[in-house]
Amino acid sequence: MKKIAVVGSPNVGKSLLFNRLTGAYANVSNYPGTTVEVTRGRAKIGENEFEVIDTPGMYSLLPISEEERVARSILLSERPEVVLYIVDAKNLERMLPLGLQLIEAKLPVILVLNIIDEAENIGMSFNLGHLEKELRVPVAATASTTGRGIDVLKGKIEDFTRSNRQKSG
Amino acid sequence: MKTSQGQIGKNLGDILEVSLERIESLLKGDYGLSKRAIGLFLLQEDGELISKVRETQPDIWPVIEKIIRDTKQHYQQPLTYIINLSYHEEARRIMQTVLTHMPRQSLPFRERLSRVMINPVTGLPILLLILYYGIYKFVGGFGAGMAVDFIEKKIFEAHINLWFTRLFNLFIPWRLLADLFVGEFGILTLGIRYAIALILPIVATFFIAFAVIEDSGYLPRLALLIDRLFKKIGLTGRAVIPMVLGLGCDTMATMVTRTLPTKRERVIATVLLALAVPCSAQLGVILSLLAGNPKGLWLWAFIVGLVFLLIGFLSSLILPGEAPSFYMEIPPLRLPKFSNVFIKTLTRVEWYFREIFPMFILASIFIWLGQLTGLFGLLTRILEHPIRWIGLPDKASVAFLFGFFRRDYGAAGLYDIKKAGLLNGNQLVVACVTLTLFLPCIAQFLMNVKERGVRTGIAISVFVLFFSFSTGFLVNFLLILFGVHL
Repeated sequence: MKKIAVVGSPNVGKSLLFNRLTGAYANVSNYPGTTVEVTRGRAKIGENEFEVIDTPGMYSLLPISEEERVARSILLSERPEVVLYIVDAKNLERMLPLGLQLIEAKLPVILVLNIIDEAENIGMSFNLGHLEKELRVPVAATASTTGRGIDVLKGKIEDFTRSNRQKSG
Repeated sequence: MKTSQGQIGKNLGDILEVSLERIESLLKGDYGLSKRAIGLFLLQEDGELISKVRETQPDIWPVIEKIIRDTKQHYQQPLTYIINLSYHEEARRIMQTVLTHMPRQSLPFRERLSRVMINPVTGLPILLLILYYGIYKFVGGFGAGMAVDFIEKKIFEAHINLWFTRLFNLFIPWRLLADLFVGEFGILTLGIRYAIALILPIVATFFIAFAVIEDSGYLPRLALLIDRLFKKIGLTGRAVIPMVLGLGCDTMATMVTRTLPTKRERVIATVLLALAVPCSAQLGVILSLLAGNPKGLWLWAFIVGLVFLLIGFLSSLILPGEAPSFYMEIPPLRLPKFSNVFIKTLTRVEWYFREIFPMFILASIFIWLGQLTGLFGLLTRILEHPIRWIGLPDKASVAFLFGFFRRDYGAAGLYDIKKAGLLNGNQLVVACVTLTLFLPCIAQFLMNVKERGVRTGIAISVFVLFFSFSTGFLVNFLLILFGVHL
């Protein structure tokens, strides 16, 4: 089964978004040889079923903590078809460097500006088109607490996997 | 550093970029990430990927290793730092095109508080308030004052010491052997009493205060506030964390200097920690020594602060290397959580105790052995000379000798002398200044050697030894010259 990895810093609503995508069933287990817990679940997006992996929080691709090491080795060894990089929209600038690292590593990244409602509440607004053009990856805005934008995100995942599969033949 | 439009991460310095491309061209096989990313990890000396590349391409690795070594020599700062900086610059550039509206009006309270803390005009009074209530009142007043009084007088002097002394004198007929446990410097009457009655309450209250400050998110703001001052002494705001932690335990803080990005900063921070940053145990004892003497306390703080800045400034002039630059993640301010504070305090106190408890007992044994062989007397007599030069009574040399074992142990020794009424105001200030600057404790000395190497570690200690007595001498001399009586 193809995999989707959910990555991001701690406290960006990663797990809630994971729950929104996967629904009720999740399987928590220690990553082999570590004390770090990794949650896995399933999601049906369009015609395809995916295994969704909620990775431990990471600040950088260059790992310092055991959590970060696990998150990176999931990206390295499990070859996810989609990497959802979740950020807190309010703190996009602070979280963008890790996004740039992921993109530079040629991982199949979709950038998710989560907690977009709070960002808008304090009066921030983003030009998502410009962001997609700058980064050359799909960008979606969501609020995982209310479920806003999740359907759009699913649509983007569908388009993204379809066009990637066509490219690779 | 040049930025070229639209090429993510391609705005690295020229040398770094060329090295990266050479490494990329050498990498063969599938590593799960782009070759560019792998190359960047290798340049940043990522252990996991280095061993992976070594395994997959053992013949190529030496070539790559040489490229990395050569590249590193071209830069003052670690490559990780330079690479990260380029990501941050790129992120800032992208934000300018993407963010169509950024709120300006009515910041949330937290954010406003945060700015007030960083602004020098409002931030310094806040810092002083935190120091006054957190350190002076809580650690000095409550920890070193009330708690120490209670444990020492009500528990040790009233019960434990008496009881054990009677017990040992009863069951161990040899006076000499009984002295090892309950004599003037006995394991129970001195070693364990110092550790539990004096040091434990002080260290525990300091670590509580530190954990509250740490958990609230104040430290990174303090780092920004103090960055400009620290740049003058060859450090950056980043050094705030080891420095503040040094007020808890300099040994722990010396280990934490690892977080500083350049070797130069690490050396300067180590020197300052060894010389001019008193640890909490020492600080607590000094605060209670000078408690009835506010003028003396101010003078002590002024001199130690002056030494801190002066030595920092001088070493930043002497040590080669460029002035560092600084950026830091600023987490949001929040109310400290009880469970976090509790766990942090507990683990630190535990670490501390595991470190010092054996040392205190060992010190008692050494002193006992020293007294038995006459070596202790000899060393105290040798130390009496510099002690006299700085105008202190001969008995203080015992405290200084203790200081070799643990700084706080020495300060605690002074505490006993003061209780005996042997020190006047001037002498007290001179003693506190000298002892604050005096040699780091054995644990810190070992840590210095471990972190900075044998040569630098010993050089720092010799320098500190001479500097502390010279300063003591100078302070005493000036006090006499100007006829000051504290």
